[in-house]
Amino acid sequence: MVTLINTPNPVKLKHPKKHDHYGFRDFFTFDPDKGTIVDWNEGQNLLTTEDFIIGLVEGLQEEVGDAAAATMYVIGCEWGQKDAFFFEKWFEKEFDRNMRQANLLFLLETWWWPFTSQGWGRWEVDMGDRKQGFMFINIFDSAVARTLGDVGKPVCFLYAGLFAGFFTELVRKQLSCIEIQCYSMGETYCKFLVGGQDRIDAAAFWMNEGANARDIEKRLRTGELLR
Amino acid sequence: MLSQLKRLSLEVDGRYASDAELQFMTDYVKSFNLRLQTYQKLQEIESSLLQQAYAKMRSLDPMLFVHGKEEYSHKWKADTSRTLRYVAVAVLINDPDTLRERLLLWFQTILHAFGMEQTANVTYQVLQEVIKQDLTPPQASLVCPILELVRRSLGPTSP
Repeated sequence: MVTLINTPNPVKLKHPKKHDHYGFRDFFTFDPDKGTIVDWNEGQNLLTTEDFIIGLVEGLQEEVGDAAAATMYVIGCEWGQKDAFFFEKWFEKEFDRNMRQANLLFLLETWWWPFTSQGWGRWEVDMGDRKQGFMFINIFDSAVARTLGDVGKPVCFLYAGLFAGFFTELVRKQLSCIEIQCYSMGETYCKFLVGGQDRIDAAAFWMNEGANARDIEKRLRTGELLR
Repeated sequence: MLSQLKRLSLEVDGRYASDAELQFMTDYVKSFNLRLQTYQKLQEIESSLLQQAYAKMRSLDPMLFVHGKEEYSHKWKADTSRTLRYVAVAVLINDPDTLRERLLLWFQTILHAFGMEQTANVTYQVLQEVIKQDLTPPQASLVCPILELVRRSLGPTSP
């Protein structure tokens, strides 16, 4: 999703306040004359194949080597930050209220639904540890991991960056994110930890030492951090 | 029906469909009158259905409409009425897949966000009970499986 475009969605024209609009035919408007695919929030969408994702990941790897992961993460961060502003506008327009007045879990589900419709996978947010300053997000069917298959290491740096960028803007506090379990490691779904840099550094260190997602969750919940 | 037609048009690309592949259309045509009657009946009794279900649920547990400090009766009526209309269309066009894609997948995440899964579970259980009093058995046999799909989709995921 890159630019905004003015193509009226016929369903939206008729039912502008319809919230249940995430089915394929409701959410996207295809204009064969203009060659555009515009979504409910007037973002222009591009269809890409799995080859595009492979090209992006391998092309970056070839250009910048080991920095490819960090580059994808930074791209994700910028995307998440920009999307937070975009979301704030369309949320207010759709629900006639500021996003900060909304139920938090409802707000997050509403933020992620366009991503689900666009094929980025379904998610589940675990905010049980929010008061301790961290949270977990599960992604089912990550577009990146599904494309790359079982490569034995985490690959969803773009998602990690997206969550870091979005949540940083949402809570107005610098947050980071790390993928602690990935479909590309042979797991059934991807798991991300969002929190302050100290916790993300600790999780990265434990992962290097061979800890799995469950170990990391346990250590964080007991308040363990790197000395 | 629409989902089945779409699948059929993809599967028979470049060839003729077999009799077995066309069977669902024959079945649909045979069931159409009953579907249409059921759809019209649902439209006619919607408000009474909602009232009966609401009264029955309140007598079971008034707290079903309360979450935290909020009272959700009004919201419940609007949500249940919208869902019933989707159910009616799913009955008319025999298309539970579209119901799932257009409403249920989204709505289950929203109900989860507000902690209302148990209310949804009871709602679509009670609706199956009260609807049987107003519909003929053949009509109820079209509607109840769809209401059960709604209950399983919107209710709690673990017992």
